[in-house]
Amino acid sequence: MKRAIIIAALLLTTTLGWSQAKKPTIMVVPSDAYCERNGYVQHFKTMGDELDVPDYAKALKQDVDMRDLIAHMAEFMAQNNFPLQSLEQELKRLQTEDAEMAMMTGKTGSEIDETPVERLRRNAKADIILDLDYQIERNGPRQQVRFNLQAIDAYSSKIISGNTGLGTNSGAPLPLLLGEVVESFKDNFLRGLQNHFDDMFRNGREVTVTILKYGNCPFDFDDDIEIDGDDYEFRDWVEEWFQDNTKEGRFSTDAASANRIRFTQVRIPLYSQNRKGRDVAIDANDFVKPLVREIKQKLNVPVGATPRGLGDVWITVGDK
Amino acid sequence: MKQILTMVFAAVLLLSGFNADAQNKARRKSFSSWENYEIAIEKVGTPGTKFVKVWGFGKNVDAAVMAAKMNAVHACIFRGIPASTTAMATPPICSHPDALTSNQDYFEDFFSEGGPYLAYINMTTDGVPSGTDNRKVKGGYKVAIYVQVLYDNLKKKLENDGIVRGLSDGF
Repeated sequence: MKRAIIIAALLLTTTLGWSQAKKPTIMVVPSDAYCERNGYVQHFKTMGDELDVPDYAKALKQDVDMRDLIAHMAEFMAQNNFPLQSLEQELKRLQTEDAEMAMMTGKTGSEIDETPVERLRRNAKADIILDLDYQIERNGPRQQVRFNLQAIDAYSSKIISGNTGLGTNSGAPLPLLLGEVVESFKDNFLRGLQNHFDDMFRNGREVTVTILKYGNCPFDFDDDIEIDGDDYEFRDWVEEWFQDNTKEGRFSTDAASANRIRFTQVRIPLYSQNRKGRDVAIDANDFVKPLVREIKQKLNVPVGATPRGLGDVWITVGDK
Repeated sequence: MKQILTMVFAAVLLLSGFNADAQNKARRKSFSSWENYEIAIEKVGTPGTKFVKVWGFGKNVDAAVMAAKMNAVHACIFRGIPASTTAMATPPICSHPDALTSNQDYFEDFFSEGGPYLAYINMTTDGVPSGTDNRKVKGGYKVAIYVQVLYDNLKKKLENDGIVRGLSDGF
C-alpha cells in the first residue's frame, strides 16, 4: 500500500513537472510619444507621405535616464523570477544575425534561404510589452519625474496594467528620483500582471487565430462545401470546431469574409496531451494543429500554420 | 467537606473554561473585524520598503505602539495603502477577500504577541510619540508612529508559506 502511494506521488510530481505553462516574455519598449518628443525617430518618405518610425536603438544608446529606469525595472522583475528581455540586446543580436546570415555559405557555396516575409518577422518581439514614457519637469532648483507605464498584451492589444503618476518634487539627484518613481509604481504594476496571470490560469490563455486564403484554394470561405456527407459553409464549420475546442466555448469571430476569418479573445487551455499521451504546455500554434490536420484530411487542400508568438497564429488554406 | 471542595474545584474549572473560550471568541471576533485604523504612506524610495504613518489604540502608550505596528503589517497584507501626492497606491498582498478567513490559524499565529509579523517592521524612532501623535482617549491612548514596512520581504514570506501565489508560479 505504502509503495503504491509513493509511486502515485512520484507520478503526480512528474505530471506536474511537465505541466508548467509556457512563460510569456516581457520587454520594456520606449513609447512612441517619448521617442517623438525626444527626436529618437527615423524619417521615411513613402508614396509622398512622411512617416516617423521610433528609433529604439538610438533612444537606448543616448538616453541615460531611460537606461536607468529600465535597469530598475529589470531588477525588480528578476527578483520576482521574471527576467525582462532586453530590447537593446535583441536589437544587437538581430544586427549580428543579419551580418552573419549575409556572409554564411555552405561547403558547396550555397546560401541560407530566407524569404522577405521571414526577414520581416525576424524582429525584436515579446509577449507582453511594457510601454514606458517619462518626462522630467523642472521647477527652479527642483525636479519631478512624470511617468506612464502600460503593460500591453502583444496579441490582444489589451492593457493589462496601467500606471501613471508624478514622483516627488525634490532637489535630489535625478537617478535617485528615477529609482523612487519605479518604487512608487512597482507594486501596483506587479498586481496588474498577477491579475492577468491569475485570469489566464483560471480561464485559459487568450489568443488570436487568423485564417487566410491563398489564390489556389479551391473554395471561398463563404462557399458551401461537403464535409462528412453534409453541406457546410466553411466558416461555420470552423466556428463549430472553435466552439468544441476552446475553454467553455469562449471566442469572438472578429471578421468572417470570403477570404479571411479572424477569431479573437479565443480562450485556449494551457495544457494538452501530445501524441504520446503526455501532458504538455501549449500555445496558439499547438492549439490549432488538430484543426490544420482536420482541414487537410477532410478537404484535401494544403494548409499551413505560422506562429506569430505564444498567442497569435495564422492558418493559410490552399498553400503553405 | 470533601464533596464541597470537589464541587468548588469543578466550578472553578468550568468557569475558567468558559472564560478562556470567551477570550478566544473575543480575540477571533476582534481579529476578523480588524478594520478600524488609519494609515498613510509618507514616501517610497528605499527599495522593497514602504514608509508609513500608522495609528494604533491601546490601554497604555506601549500597547498602542504595538497595535500600530501590527496595523501597519495588517494594512500591507489585507487593506493596501492609499496613494499620496508622491506615491501610487500600494495594493494588498492578499487580494482575495477570503484570504483572512481561509487562513485564520496561520494569521492568528503570525500576528500573535511577539509573532513573526515583527520581523517586517523597522521603527524609525525609538521615542514615545508626542504632540498630536499621542492622544488620550476614552479607554486608553491613540498614537501615531512612523514605521518602515519591509513590504517585499513580507510578500516573499507569504509566497513561500503558500498563502499567496508568486508572479512566476505555474510557469
